[in-house]
Amino acid sequence: GDALRALHTAMRGSPAGARSQAVKEQAQGTMLKVLTSFKSSEIEQAVNSLDRNGIDLLMKYIYKGFEKPTENSSAILLQWHEKALAAGGLGSIVRVLTARKTV
Amino acid sequence: MAYHSFLLEPISCHAWNKDRTQIALCPNNHEVHIYHKDGAKWTKVHELKEHNGQVTGIDWAPESNRLVTCGTDRNAYVWTLKGNVWKPTLVILRINRAARCVKWSPKENKFAVGSGSRLISICYFEQENDWWVCKHIKKPIRSTVLSLDWHPNNVLLAAGSCDFKCRIFSAYIKEVEERPSPTPWGSKMPFGELMFESSSSCGWVHSICFSASGARVAWVSHDSTLCLADANRKMAVASLCTETLPLLAVTFITENSLVAAGHDCYSMLFTYEESQGALTFGGKLDVPKQSSQRGLTARERFQNLDKKASSDTTNATLDTLHKNSIRHVTGGQISVLAGGKANCSQFCTTGMDGGMSIWDVKSLESALKDLKIK
Repeated sequence: GDALRALHTAMRGSPAGARSQAVKEQAQGTMLKVLTSFKSSEIEQAVNSLDRNGIDLLMKYIYKGFEKPTENSSAILLQWHEKALAAGGLGSIVRVLTARKTV
Repeated sequence: MAYHSFLLEPISCHAWNKDRTQIALCPNNHEVHIYHKDGAKWTKVHELKEHNGQVTGIDWAPESNRLVTCGTDRNAYVWTLKGNVWKPTLVILRINRAARCVKWSPKENKFAVGSGSRLISICYFEQENDWWVCKHIKKPIRSTVLSLDWHPNNVLLAAGSCDFKCRIFSAYIKEVEERPSPTPWGSKMPFGELMFESSSSCGWVHSICFSASGARVAWVSHDSTLCLADANRKMAVASLCTETLPLLAVTFITENSLVAAGHDCYSMLFTYEESQGALTFGGKLDVPKQSSQRGLTARERFQNLDKKASSDTTNATLDTLHKNSIRHVTGGQISVLAGGKANCSQFCTTGMDGGMSIWDVKSLESALKDLKIK
């Protein structure tokens, strides 16, 4: 419940396309904390609560998380990736690659 | 539906003649080959060799039976059939980069060429000097023009470009035509006037298509989206983020339905709902899968888990008719079974696997039960 609300709040406040790198990094850190706080069993439900734009945004953060791995982040991110891919398809990954407003 | 494997190389581009008995295609080299259909067999009847670079666009004018080709050698040729030989006429495009796409206008008195020179060359025939001249549309195109489509009024031209935008220009040439009457896209149409420009999507616009009435224009771009602008709704743009790899070609088959195909090697149906201004995915148009599930041994399961991090049984070979990306979709302008973009009954796809398929809309509708073509 809490983790889900945190996810939606973090998404709403996402500074996609912001000029300041510091703002973006802070948002990335927050998002990573939220994603790693989920239990594996809760991930699928969380993904299903997102709309198409939400899934695209989530995918962007997942890949950003892959870029800067911490001790346990990759494992949980891979689980998020599997569920997000099932919901968004390859198209959502293509949109991470082609996005001009990065997170 | 019929699949014919022409070559081992990719088919770069293709065009059909008026009665669909002949197809002109480029087998990924400097030539254009024309094949004639004899029942179920295809035989090569002509080889057109004039270009010094790969042929990137072919269009066949149905009424006047002329071909226009353009290539990476920065030239375009108009071909006329004299007896049994196709004779080329060089058209100077005045571009310093490769030509990428070419389209005859509906009345066949002009054609447009998109190029890497970040401009569109509109070419028309000047009677007094007995040669083709061209005018350029430059502003505000910022990158290569990848795709073109004419509006049925012979004046408006839609262009998709690598600067992520779809634009509609006026290509009015006073020397060859009357002033056009107002359209939902605007009433003042001097040459080069920008009638519509989409806000940036994030991908190169691979293909663009006007609907049969000209009131709608749809485009597919490299960020895996399909967009449609509706002039009757104040040019509102509806877009759909697809779950597939980027689409490379799109065409209208009715005023509300589109077929698109691309890197996923199969065609897809999309429907536009005018009242809501929304695009929806209508279904996959391809051979229905008949795979049988065979059980996996425990060893294979672990191997899969190790290699692919998944333990399901889907195999790696493609289950689609085309085995490589589909580059071109043409809906018959006047197809053999009286179709056109308003009521297409057959459409054709060619791909990088060197194959061409002809799809029959009625049989697709009956074979794929959930399909609804409006």
